[in-house]
Amino acid sequence: MATSKIARTAKKAGVPNAATLERMLYYLKLTREAEFRIERVLYRQGKIVGGVYVGRGQEAVGVGAAIQLREGDVILPCHRDFSAFVIRGFRLADIFANWMARADSPNRGRDNTLHIGDLKLGIIPIISPLGATCPVACGVALVLKQRGQGNVALVHFGEGTTSVGDVHEAMNFAAVMKLPVVFVCNNNQYAYSTPTEKQYAVKSLAVRGPAYGMPGETVDGMDVLAVHEAVGRAIARARAGQGPSFLECITFRMTGHSAHDGAEYVPDALLRAWEKRDPIDRFEKYLLTKKVLTRAEIAALEKSIHREIEQAIADAEARPMPAGAEALEGVYCGPECWWKREN
Amino acid sequence: MKPLNRSQLHDLYYYLRLNRRVDEQLVNLYRQGKVVGGVYSSLGQEAISVGTAYALQPQDFIGPMIRNVGAMMVRGFRPRDVFLQYMARQGGPTGGRDANTHFGDVARGVIAPISVLGEMVPVLAGIALAAKLRKEKRVALTYVGDGASSTGPFHEGLNLAAVQKLPLILIGENNAWAYSTPVEKQMAVRNLAERAKAYGIPATTIDGNDVLKVFETTRAAAERARRGGGPSFIECKTMRMKGHAEHDDAKYVPKEVVEKWRKKDPILRYEKYLCAKKLMTAEEKAAIEARLEKEIREDVAYAEASPFPPPEDAARSPWAP
Repeated sequence: MATSKIARTAKKAGVPNAATLERMLYYLKLTREAEFRIERVLYRQGKIVGGVYVGRGQEAVGVGAAIQLREGDVILPCHRDFSAFVIRGFRLADIFANWMARADSPNRGRDNTLHIGDLKLGIIPIISPLGATCPVACGVALVLKQRGQGNVALVHFGEGTTSVGDVHEAMNFAAVMKLPVVFVCNNNQYAYSTPTEKQYAVKSLAVRGPAYGMPGETVDGMDVLAVHEAVGRAIARARAGQGPSFLECITFRMTGHSAHDGAEYVPDALLRAWEKRDPIDRFEKYLLTKKVLTRAEIAALEKSIHREIEQAIADAEARPMPAGAEALEGVYCGPECWWKREN
Repeated sequence: MKPLNRSQLHDLYYYLRLNRRVDEQLVNLYRQGKVVGGVYSSLGQEAISVGTAYALQPQDFIGPMIRNVGAMMVRGFRPRDVFLQYMARQGGPTGGRDANTHFGDVARGVIAPISVLGEMVPVLAGIALAAKLRKEKRVALTYVGDGASSTGPFHEGLNLAAVQKLPLILIGENNAWAYSTPVEKQMAVRNLAERAKAYGIPATTIDGNDVLKVFETTRAAAERARRGGGPSFIECKTMRMKGHAEHDDAKYVPKEVVEKWRKKDPILRYEKYLCAKKLMTAEEKAAIEARLEKEIREDVAYAEASPFPPPEDAARSPWAP
């Protein structure tokens, strides 16, 4: 049963303290609610246009991993890791403003997804051709290794992406050079409409680790504590100079590939079965059982999150759209560029 | 599977010796200044080229690398094709445009080597896919070196072949050096075959200097593929006995290592085997050698007498009309 599995995992791991557990629940619920507003409210109201990608059902992977990063660490997330951006310090209002293509937003209205980053916050933007961030992560890790301060790079990607050549080149390079990278594979069972049976011919992607000479593990991606524990060990190995690790986190994509994908190819029964394993419900049950939080406290947290999101959306909506005359500007970084202004 | 008969065993010997003679002749021409560009030797690796190619059937496709000249000979190309290429003559397979062995013949089931190594894996996987879709009993075979096994296309091609259960055989020719990169700096696992396990396909590591072992292993993989059993990876361990090319003195390779491998020379070993098992008499051997020498002599003369392309030809479009 879900609760006892989390309890068993926690015993093994050395469970985070109550404050961290509460923060984890906060980020999980914030991510779920914010992405709900993005995909199923703002998009349907026409306030967000274009491709809308959320990580419904996979929130534990972003939260369990990113919450362990410290100053100087770098994360290279993917589209399903909304929480990583907030955890590292992106303002919610700026993320909503970016989705709504506002002039005052990280991408100034030119790209309205999570292709945002900030080197000061240690977060590198998603590169749309997935897999490309893996060699970048190696480059980052090489610098971190040379700096010798025990920092690590985390790079996230899906099981579909593991079939891309860039991932192979990166994992091999990281293993040979013993780089402090953690390769986090979010196996959510579908790469757009491609199920795992058509993606790879092995039973578990964990074997990809030893194929390069690094540890490889499969983790329950619906269990935020399991993710936290496995990523924690991988991070510790990297910090200690023992090189990279590969983690396959098993999750389920609980919505379409994107908002415009009805995902009819996903059998209804499969979706219903996975919904019973919702990572947030499970974690909530655990916290209640362990008396870390009461129902009243969780309700209050939810109210607070809703308020925070509503404020952020209002803030973002109030910002003006970019001026048409500026459409051709800002492709290359100049003195007026957002990033340069902040530095 | 039937063992090879005497004639076939002699065939293997002929092709091994032919591979080496073509190589030697090229080096001679290079030193005489008659070859344009880099000469890439396959000294010490002949058993892999010959053993793998000989295990295929006429309808199979092969995608050699430029160190697999032996394979191209098995598939019906002649020494003169290689000499014409290297000496950039008009009559050569690429009309003097490629001064190496980047040529092939789809009719003969040979795909021209792609210089960017690793790229042939997806290409031959595509040929295997066509064979499967057409329900043909055809297999596709190609090669990667230890270096090429680190490339993205290797990964993508092999994964596709595995998922789609394609009749592809991938030979990992591990000659210990990728230019000046030793295999210990190429990967953090010991054998190339360990990489292939990541795809869920059978993978094995064999002595690449044992031509019969190479032949048998490849033939078994081909039969498996023909039965619908999907792809295989065969790592053949050998040693690059010279530099990356003639212009590379390979000072970075320890001399003791080269000498150790010289004792394991594939042609010497096969000769000893044939002699010990009384499978080739001194006369038969001499006849093969005479045939080889005549062939090389004739083909060098032919190539040297062959005209260069006229200057006007240079403007001719490289694309098919």
